[in-house]
Amino acid sequence: MAGCMFSAPKFRLIDLAKPFLAFVPEIELPYDNLPFDDKIVFTLTTALIYLFGQFPLAAIAKGSVSVKDPIFFLRGVFAAEPRTLLEFGIFPPIATALILQLLAGFKLIKVNFSQRKDRELFQTLIKIVSIATYAVLANIFIASGYYGEDLSLVAKLLINAQLIGAGFFVTLLIEVIDKGHGFASGAMAIVAISLSTGLVDDLFGIQQIPIDQDGNKEPRGAIINLIQGFRAKHKTLLGAIVNAFQRDYLPNLTTGLLVVVLGGVVCYLQNVRNELSIKSTKVRGMVNVYPIRLLYTGGLSILFSYCVLFYVHILGFVVIQLIGGNKEGSIINTLMGGYESTEFFYLARFPLSLLTPPTSFFALLQQPLTLFTFTAFLIITGVWFATNWQEISGSSSRDVAKQFKEQGVTLAHHREESKDLIKIIPVASATGAAALAVLVAAGELLGLKGKGAGIAVAISSAFAILEVVTVDFQQNGGQSSIAQMLGGRPA
Amino acid sequence: MAKKNPQFEKLVETPLEFVKEGNQFLQKCKKPSKQEYLKIIQAVGIGFVAVGVIGYIIKLIHIPIRYLIV
Repeated sequence: MAGCMFSAPKFRLIDLAKPFLAFVPEIELPYDNLPFDDKIVFTLTTALIYLFGQFPLAAIAKGSVSVKDPIFFLRGVFAAEPRTLLEFGIFPPIATALILQLLAGFKLIKVNFSQRKDRELFQTLIKIVSIATYAVLANIFIASGYYGEDLSLVAKLLINAQLIGAGFFVTLLIEVIDKGHGFASGAMAIVAISLSTGLVDDLFGIQQIPIDQDGNKEPRGAIINLIQGFRAKHKTLLGAIVNAFQRDYLPNLTTGLLVVVLGGVVCYLQNVRNELSIKSTKVRGMVNVYPIRLLYTGGLSILFSYCVLFYVHILGFVVIQLIGGNKEGSIINTLMGGYESTEFFYLARFPLSLLTPPTSFFALLQQPLTLFTFTAFLIITGVWFATNWQEISGSSSRDVAKQFKEQGVTLAHHREESKDLIKIIPVASATGAAALAVLVAAGELLGLKGKGAGIAVAISSAFAILEVVTVDFQQNGGQSSIAQMLGGRPA
Repeated sequence: MAKKNPQFEKLVETPLEFVKEGNQFLQKCKKPSKQEYLKIIQAVGIGFVAVGVIGYIIKLIHIPIRYLIV
């Protein structure tokens, strides 16, 4: 961005997107407001199409490879499934959108949002960078040997085509909802649905998976496993119960319950709010409340922290695996710690382990510093993001004060509303982000492997979607046949 | 040292102030009552499981497809 200063006087970063405008496909805005039912169907189907896209990659090496998954604990948040088309999930579109919007908010990228042309260019820029991120990530993983050590050129091209193609598709899929064909944001819908599916799978999954050489099988779902354990021949009753709570090769009840409890706490936090009483300046005696939520920026602060975490770990992976080859005793491994390889995962050693949540509570005892560094990292990045985001996202205290003025309301008992709002909104968003960060850190440090952060983002996304759905239902849900089918209750 | 002192003070004070302000805000906040909370949990729980089951059906469809491809 600094380069803009001394190149052509009128050059702006978004102009880079100009040549792409013509051939990067764009989702059209709906002609007019879509009916309530259509939006529900669009939102649900989009998310389901995403889930359906988890096809295993073709042309990768069969069997186990020496390079294991280095980002396993980041997958939950971004709905990424290893060794499928959705290897990187929705990380690139989310990270690109958040970072470019922050940069635009800081005026580091000059965008005039009141001009249609500029908005289009900015959107296209986000799309291109997102797809480019998919391409870069794909090639980092291919070159590292994650898909197999000696892939032929054809195989490499094939994997590239699959991952980038899927990434392109996902970017557009998210845009469908973002552009108003569905509710709230596409990324939110996808995270919510993929996490809820994961939870159902972890608790009630009926798929039988072979667990040992004797051909014994156990179901994936922890609760189903508990029930089935009572009848299994290869386990005693007590053994079955203990096994259901602490098996580590498949989801167990302990982590399942922990995720549910965490979700419950997020639900609670989501409903903590500061209710400002407001009164109309036009109609006497009209008093209402304007809630300022504790989680003012919702789960976005966690998403941002995890985006930063993703970049850090990808960078670490590039240096250690790609450049250093993860060789014991090499200079890079002495400096950067290298990876310890387990059956499925690459566990980072010190110093990268400072920002890697442990795989279990016992693993935390071996890396006690992580307790502080990881928590501090989540809090600092989360609070920093929340403070800045509320400022630039059109919901800052100034924007709300303006909104009040337009609607003819003022705060009761306060004369200077903007001053009061200026104090309250940044505090709310920062405090909320810190609370959420502590919660997620607690869950992750107990060994949830990304499910803790995932559930926090998913629940807050679900609330955000529900809020938009409720408002829309009250406005034009009158003829909704979905609502009638569900018994006519308001959603 | 004399020059560094105010900086150091600021470094200590900022988080303290942050915690203080946050606490003040939290005290002013309205927390959901038990009944309200149970209702929310119920609604979110049902919604989550319902959507999860739909998603899981999609996942089940995937299992035979995977057998065919791999």
